Amino acid sequence: MARQVAMVIDLNKCIGCHTCTTACKSLWTDEPGQEYMLWHNVETKPGPGYPENWEASGGGWENGQLKPGQLMSKESHGTECSVNHEAVFFDASEIRLRQDEKMKVGSNWNEDSSSGEYPNNYHFYLPRLCNHCTKPSCLEACPVRAIYKREEDGVVLIDQDKCQGLRACNTACPYKKIYYNHVTKKSQKCIFCFPRLEKGEAPACAKQCPGKLRFVGFLEDEDGPIHKLVYEWKVALPLHPEYGTEPNVFYVPPILPNAYDDNGDISDDPRVPIEYLRQLFGEEVDGALITLDVEMERKKQGKSSQLMDLLIAKDWKSMFNIPDVRIE
Amino acid sequence: MKRTQKMASPPQMPASKGRRTFLRQLLASSTLLTLNHAPIAASAPQPSGEKAYRNFEDIYRKKWTWDRVVRGTHGTNCAGNCAFNVYVKDGIVWREEQQGVYGSSGDAPDYGPRGCQKGLRHSKYMYGSQRVLYPMKSIGERGNGKWERISWHQATTEIADKFLDLVVAHGPECISYGSGTQMALKRASFCSLARFANITGVTVPEFLSGVGDLPSGIQMTLGQIHTSDTMAAVYKSRCVLVWMSNPAVTRIPDAHFFWDAKYNGTEVIAISPEFTPTAMHSSLWVNPKPGTDTALAMAMVNVILEERLFKANYIREQSDLPLLVRMDNKRFLRAEDFATQSDATADGGGFYIWDEATDSVARAPGSGTGNDQAATLKLGKLRPALEGRWRVQGLDGVIEVTTAFELLKVRAAEHAPELMSELTGVNANVIRKIARTFAAAEPAMIFSGYAACKWLHGDILQRSMLLLLSLTGNIGPEGGGLQIGNSAKTQTMAFAFDGIGVAFRGISGTTWDYDHAKMKQLNQETYGKKLAQEFDDYYQESIRKGWYPSHSSKGWKMGFFAGNNGANWRASGKRWRKSALEELELIVSLVPDAGVTSHYSDYVLPIAHHYERADMMLQSRTPYVQVLDVAVPPLGEAVDDWEANRLLAEAIGRRAKERGIGIIDDVIDGRRVQRDYRRCLELYTMNGKIKSAKDVCQYIIDTTPGIPKIPFAELAEKGVVRVNGSERTTWDDKETTYHSEVFESVRDKVPYQTVSGRQSFYIDHEWFLEFDEALPAHKKPLHNEGYPLRMMMGHARHGIHSMWRDDSFLLSLQRGEPDIYINPDDAAERDVKDGDTVRIFNDAGEFFAMAHLSAGIQPSMLFMYHGWDPMMFRNRQNFGAVISTAGLIKPTSMAGGYGQIGYKPARFSPNQTYKDFTCDFEKASEEVTAGEPA
Repeated sequence: MARQVAMVIDLNKCIGCHTCTTACKSLWTDEPGQEYMLWHNVETKPGPGYPENWEASGGGWENGQLKPGQLMSKESHGTECSVNHEAVFFDASEIRLRQDEKMKVGSNWNEDSSSGEYPNNYHFYLPRLCNHCTKPSCLEACPVRAIYKREEDGVVLIDQDKCQGLRACNTACPYKKIYYNHVTKKSQKCIFCFPRLEKGEAPACAKQCPGKLRFVGFLEDEDGPIHKLVYEWKVALPLHPEYGTEPNVFYVPPILPNAYDDNGDISDDPRVPIEYLRQLFGEEVDGALITLDVEMERKKQGKSSQLMDLLIAKDWKSMFNIPDVRIE
Repeated sequence: MKRTQKMASPPQMPASKGRRTFLRQLLASSTLLTLNHAPIAASAPQPSGEKAYRNFEDIYRKKWTWDRVVRGTHGTNCAGNCAFNVYVKDGIVWREEQQGVYGSSGDAPDYGPRGCQKGLRHSKYMYGSQRVLYPMKSIGERGNGKWERISWHQATTEIADKFLDLVVAHGPECISYGSGTQMALKRASFCSLARFANITGVTVPEFLSGVGDLPSGIQMTLGQIHTSDTMAAVYKSRCVLVWMSNPAVTRIPDAHFFWDAKYNGTEVIAISPEFTPTAMHSSLWVNPKPGTDTALAMAMVNVILEERLFKANYIREQSDLPLLVRMDNKRFLRAEDFATQSDATADGGGFYIWDEATDSVARAPGSGTGNDQAATLKLGKLRPALEGRWRVQGLDGVIEVTTAFELLKVRAAEHAPELMSELTGVNANVIRKIARTFAAAEPAMIFSGYAACKWLHGDILQRSMLLLLSLTGNIGPEGGGLQIGNSAKTQTMAFAFDGIGVAFRGISGTTWDYDHAKMKQLNQETYGKKLAQEFDDYYQESIRKGWYPSHSSKGWKMGFFAGNNGANWRASGKRWRKSALEELELIVSLVPDAGVTSHYSDYVLPIAHHYERADMMLQSRTPYVQVLDVAVPPLGEAVDDWEANRLLAEAIGRRAKERGIGIIDDVIDGRRVQRDYRRCLELYTMNGKIKSAKDVCQYIIDTTPGIPKIPFAELAEKGVVRVNGSERTTWDDKETTYHSEVFESVRDKVPYQTVSGRQSFYIDHEWFLEFDEALPAHKKPLHNEGYPLRMMMGHARHGIHSMWRDDSFLLSLQRGEPDIYINPDDAAERDVKDGDTVRIFNDAGEFFAMAHLSAGIQPSMLFMYHGWDPMMFRNRQNFGAVISTAGLIKPTSMAGGYGQIGYKPARFSPNQTYKDFTCDFEKASEEVTAGEPA
């Protein structure tokens, strides 16, 4: 039976520490040609993100057809540069310690670049990985059928033996979560840590998140936190549902402290404009925010809330529910 | 010297290769092996129809494999204490992952998994090109980057000879041995350093106050500074003011407790001028102007008093607020007001209350009974008045008295919300709202970092925070209190003194700097002769009165810097390199990674990194002992701190014998001490009994109360072990390592270690009265004339002080170079755009950084994360250039002779001031940016 592994990311707990990104980087993308790749990244929103302006790059589905997309340049991803330690500290050939190649843009260039106007400015962090979509446009776009979706867990993979580096998938992915390896000449991306899943272990970005904000499990598992958050409480939403790929990474939308009124008193107005959140998460976000608000208020009044207890996740390991993934 | 030219190749490094090439190959080797290997035969069965199709998956399966797992952590003073598995593959550390084996305290969420991006980056950073691989000796001018590679034997012998020359000529006091972020919290390492220092008599500057981290306001109020609980205590609170702290950035493994608490119904109120990542997730964000926090706190006190929201019975029993104060001289009414001095002393001294039950004066319980074990705060039948004025018959006639509480009411009235609203920029309604929320919550907590300590009058802010907590009965209950920091009690230090007694020369880093780094001159240049002289007069008077030791009688001749990047954090930056470092006859750095301090040293000794050594950590945020075990041998010729000090002790002993240097007389705190440098090694190793850092760890485990008595090997096997008596979120159990006596005072009514035996909010010391600081009050922040912007700094997300600041990957997650956050309006006024290089300046100096615009920054302020090494800036000058306050030693922080107030290392000594200044910025001229790589 086909099953779909999924992740819920609670943006109300994400502190932008990039532990997830770093965990992924050291596990999967430390090889030549992968320097600029972050299969997982965190970006400040609103902001151009990684790669720069990916949200304006097309791809995905439109009226049942693949929507044309744009190929993102290597430069638009920024890069990891080496530092001239040797020249400064040991060779006496340079004075100032710096990156050998000066960055112009980076995956996190706009870290904490807040939008709006002080003191009613707003921003938050958005962790991103491959959505392992139910209707992956990358898979559809690949002319050599190198991309497949695993039946046992729904993980979308690019077969590195079959891939011919044509980069159709790179443009077709509306989230721009596929990267071209300029050394191996293949496209590569997040594998949802399937070797870990196969041993009952959550992906590194989730398991290693010190903020305890990422749930991993199967959508179909009615007792698991994913099912409850996505289908029962409806507080976890896909990013840009209008792209049409049906992502399997879901987000609990952020509620920031209320804005100030003109006199500097606390108002009832939300800090993040609801229009912006609708842009990211669709119209469903209104209901999710109300549910979160109502349940938080219950706790303030000393009442119980199943939803809040679920999100608090007192028992860290309860966030991961990965029954054996076996290749039969 | 090119490091690729070598005298003799170290065993780990092929002689023909450059170090960077070598490291890259080391890293790449496992990868190459993986790619070249055929798919492993033992993998899961393949789907029959798609066998060939999916064979490639094995590349990834094979990549997630390893040879060995070793327990470890990162022994820095982030105090994270995160349990890690260190994965070793093909002889190198491949990666690390959280061990995630924690339990919980009380009914709070568990502590797991902990960790951060710096920790996860360490497996790569430890092989980075900043590593110092073998002993190096500077050639030519200091700081020019030219080195000669030498042997450990040559290095320690030459250092020992200079060391002995100086000891014979001036005594050991002229030699400093500083420890820093890299090693100070590694228990075995620090104890090794301390034992070496105890034997040799070198001066150990205390780093808490030196970096402006000493929460002296707590010592002034409670008579101790170790009062914080575990992180789980946050979850128990119903209202947390996160104030002078930014845990979302600075306490990454702990931050979830705040949001967990918020989801659980706790009001989490972030107070900060800029919209911090902590504010982002809080229930409420309150944004005072920088430097007006005490005004806000006292306005809240005003509301609590005006609206009678205080817990009268709590303050009657626990605080000095009911104590009687003379109206004439504002001194507490004391025993000697009734009797002659000698009679009063014989009577045990003491303080007084007005007993409403008998309508008469009565001795305040807990006061004036010295060390009497029977002393208690219990009121019994007494009912101390909080309000009123009375006339009492004293020795010299009638004395008009009132209570400290009445004086507080007057003081609070000066801080009415409307008035403070103008000063702080916080709406009076908001002040009232948070004061009421705070007072109504049971319990309420103030979670604070070390930021307050970095302001000249930060002690007053801490005193006013404690006042808020005391008035609402929140010092003592689980989920309450002022949470700043805690450290294990001194028992962990027993190793330093075993068999040799205490002959340790610990001193205040701040006064050491004042005496030796020409700080009076800095004050003169910035604040004028008059102010510099005034501050200096108090400083000298304190020393004359014997309140503080003087460090100026002997010059500073030689400095050891162990895991310490002192020339980075010194507030005056480049100036400090000139005024202090350059004056030294010898500078020795013991570091794993190069930085500005090692760069300006004469000798650099290579130290093992976190995964290359055995050690242990104890930090109070979690109730666990954490191990560091040896995953791989140290790179190059690096050794751990135990071994480095052993090699130094060996060389000093050997040379002292060879040179026939006999016993040298020394004086420590007025005590005569005889030092025999010939026996240095025997003393250090306990006659050979202690052979390694593991042995030191075992000693600490065996002798430290509160730690399960297990072999080190078992700790290494488990990674973490829970400390005793840690079921609750507070350290209220006497058996625990972090025990705070505050709990005995609140629960068992044991008097506080303060002048009055009570929580001390009214300080009638002559200097405090003179400076109008007997009670907390807002004092204007310092202003550099003509410079309109206040620059704020804080601990960084992507580094722990100067550590990992130069990691290439972490830099790529920032902007690759130091940046400074600016409000877009302030930038537009100066025609500065995001990404421009700006010059930040004031009358003390200038430095350059990249403008990073954010609407989250309050107008008229700048914000910069700290820790960037001066080597990363133009002119090798970091933000220290504009920190004009480093030499300002607040007179009352040098006060003494008053119970809890008086010099006590790591408890009461002046902080170096880092935040209390203003500056301006402009777009850097083209001259500055010309010729730089695009």
